[in-house]
Amino acid sequence: MGFPYGTAPLVILLIAIVSGAAAMLSEATSPRADGRPDLIFATFSKEHAAAYQPAVERFELEHGVDVQLQVVSQRALQGRLQSSMQVGADVPDMVELLDGTLGVFAKGPVEDVGFVDLTEHVHREGLYDRLVTSRFGKWSSRGHIFALPHDVHSVMLAYRRDLVEDLGIDVSMLTTWDEFCRVGREVVTKDLTGDGVPDRYMIDLPADGGDALRLLMLQRGGAMFDEAGNVAFDNPAAVDVIDWYVRRVAGEDRISFPAGWGQNLAKAMTDGLVLFYICPDWRLKQFESDVPSLAGKMALMPVPAWEPGARRTTTWGGTGLAITKQCGNPDLAWKLAMHLYYDPAQLGERFAQTLILPPLKQAWTEPQIDAPSPVFSGMRVGRAYADLATQVPEEQSSAYMTLAVAKLSEAYNNALAHFQAGGEANLHEVARNELKSAAGRVRTVMERNRFLRDGAEIPVAAAAGTAKGVR
Amino acid sequence: MSNPTLTPTATIPQTAGIAAATAVVPKQQRRTGGGWRWKVRVTPYLFLLPYVLTTLVFFLYPLLHATVLAFFQTSGPGRRVFVGTENFTFVLADPDFRKALFNTCLFAVASIAVQLPLSLGLAMLLNAKHGRMKAFFRLAIFAPNLVGQVFVGILFAMLFTPRYGLFNRFLHELIGWGLEMRWLGDPALVMPAVVIASLWLYVGFNMIYFLAALQNVDQSLVEAARIDGADPWDIFLNVTLPSIAPVVTFVVVTSTIGSFQLFELPYTLLQGFGPNNSGLTVVGYLYNYAFDSGDLGTAAAVGWLLTFVILMVSLAQIRLSRKVSDD
Repeated sequence: MGFPYGTAPLVILLIAIVSGAAAMLSEATSPRADGRPDLIFATFSKEHAAAYQPAVERFELEHGVDVQLQVVSQRALQGRLQSSMQVGADVPDMVELLDGTLGVFAKGPVEDVGFVDLTEHVHREGLYDRLVTSRFGKWSSRGHIFALPHDVHSVMLAYRRDLVEDLGIDVSMLTTWDEFCRVGREVVTKDLTGDGVPDRYMIDLPADGGDALRLLMLQRGGAMFDEAGNVAFDNPAAVDVIDWYVRRVAGEDRISFPAGWGQNLAKAMTDGLVLFYICPDWRLKQFESDVPSLAGKMALMPVPAWEPGARRTTTWGGTGLAITKQCGNPDLAWKLAMHLYYDPAQLGERFAQTLILPPLKQAWTEPQIDAPSPVFSGMRVGRAYADLATQVPEEQSSAYMTLAVAKLSEAYNNALAHFQAGGEANLHEVARNELKSAAGRVRTVMERNRFLRDGAEIPVAAAAGTAKGVR
Repeated sequence: MSNPTLTPTATIPQTAGIAAATAVVPKQQRRTGGGWRWKVRVTPYLFLLPYVLTTLVFFLYPLLHATVLAFFQTSGPGRRVFVGTENFTFVLADPDFRKALFNTCLFAVASIAVQLPLSLGLAMLLNAKHGRMKAFFRLAIFAPNLVGQVFVGILFAMLFTPRYGLFNRFLHELIGWGLEMRWLGDPALVMPAVVIASLWLYVGFNMIYFLAALQNVDQSLVEAARIDGADPWDIFLNVTLPSIAPVVTFVVVTSTIGSFQLFELPYTLLQGFGPNNSGLTVVGYLYNYAFDSGDLGTAAAVGWLLTFVILMVSLAQIRLSRKVSDD
């Protein structure tokens, strides 16, 4: 008996049946079908994963459990986590979050945040006192801690020691930004080739403000958001920083060049086009690997202060470890988190591998922290960052951080356009007005969030009548 | 040897028709029975079923869902609140949306005004009867399209680097200007940089369409016009252009729609959307709300507004080109 629709549909049908069966069989016989690992831990950093792997293996042996370590690119991790939480789909048990992303998951009421509230655990373990306290700000929302800080990320200035010494610059004298800029002008105005184009710049600053504007504002005592989550970047510190920054990237007081990232940055460093670079500890390893030819020619110094005796550092970036609410065994996850992040016995070795200073103060006595760096002219880079760690300014998380940073940059760019068109007249006033307008825009967007308005939280059941079919 | 089932039909008069024939052919009778007829009717729908099901699940349902979503604010799977048309009114009043729309329109206009004439010009050059290495140049000009927007974004980000970028160095060597131009850092230069990168990417792609159309132009008409004394410009305007008008319409419409969907190129080129959102496009704006802010309601509203804009522009273009063809 022939197939009624002909041979071709029969073949297609057979292929569909065979391939479907093969796919089902493959799924059924895959290792995952034997059972989900006891914990799935996702991170966005290959370097972190490589450093954690031995510790994870030790943890598996000690506890007789199976932990799966996954590396997912940051964009994909955030996007998938966000989408999965949005629809209640399966998510990893533990995730590492990048600085600024917690807010995205904390847009709604606190009880809707998809991560376990770790506040009590943190206090019970005494972590709040044992760690650099300011680091909890990035991982908290409305007083609740949702992730554990992985780092401190204090900031120093990395510089071409060989060129700076050749130019006769004494970095110990560069204690304030005023002095730094004065010396910077001398560097920039020296035309070595006589072609009218500067041959050297004092510092690498992004032309559009970018993160540099924010971290300089933090150093000066300003903030993007206050502790209550309100927009705060239209503060006097921000006005001063914009006024300062504009003059450093344009006009006759310019001392900076936007060296960018990757190969361009490596080229600028190797050529000696720029002398000083903003350098949080996570950048040390990048410098080591990207410009190996500069080994022994680089060094570090604290960031110049805005006023004599004021703060000599700031902060840039961060990673936090969160436990998702879907985690089947949160106690085990907590144990793994403590083992990975705050076991002093392994943090020294971890620092040697990543050059990222842990926030656990107890770990700063490990010998690796005091090891001299061949790349940075024999400096004890771990100690240098540890010495500045307690000065690191606190930064609050917000769902609107990305928007706020974009608006801060917009205010700066408008002030820069004003400066380039008409000089420094009214620059301070323009910066203040631009910041006010930019912050107002962020407030308008925030006010739309009905879930953050008091008494406006509508649970599914109550909304079901008007929201039929929407999940 | 004759087929016994068919033999009796020979005895049936032609006038008796098919009904009479089937009445005496048992197998034929089975095949034209109710069951068979049902099968014949249903079969096409069965073939269509996979496509229809896929469309329903992956297109129609999300479309309807997005329509409903555009009138809500959501927070995770557990909460939602009806906001009426607030998402739409907010977006329409948002200066960032207006900037995104302006940038997108600017790019669309540049695509049509700069990219398409270039594509057509190149196609005409490579359509010439004589000329060595035509095939090589066709491939070389088309090749950038094979690598995609992300690659081009990353590549041009390096070309536009102040001081070290090839583009800047070339300008400096050529005219003594532009060595430190911040193509991707100066709000006024961002969109020109995006357009330049897109030219490299798309000129060759559209050239292929024009080349195919030019090869179908009736050469006897061209010859006749030439004999009548028409110069090359007249021939192009009165013979070539009307002949390739349908393809021009197609390319203009698809380029416009593509321009309104611009996202990956500026996003990778600028590592975001540039200073002052100078490289922000409508799809970029949608992306910001959907994936950076997690505000799916507003993102859905933006999606519908974008669909409406594309629909209107495309309809206007098609009507305009019909009118031109009729004239």
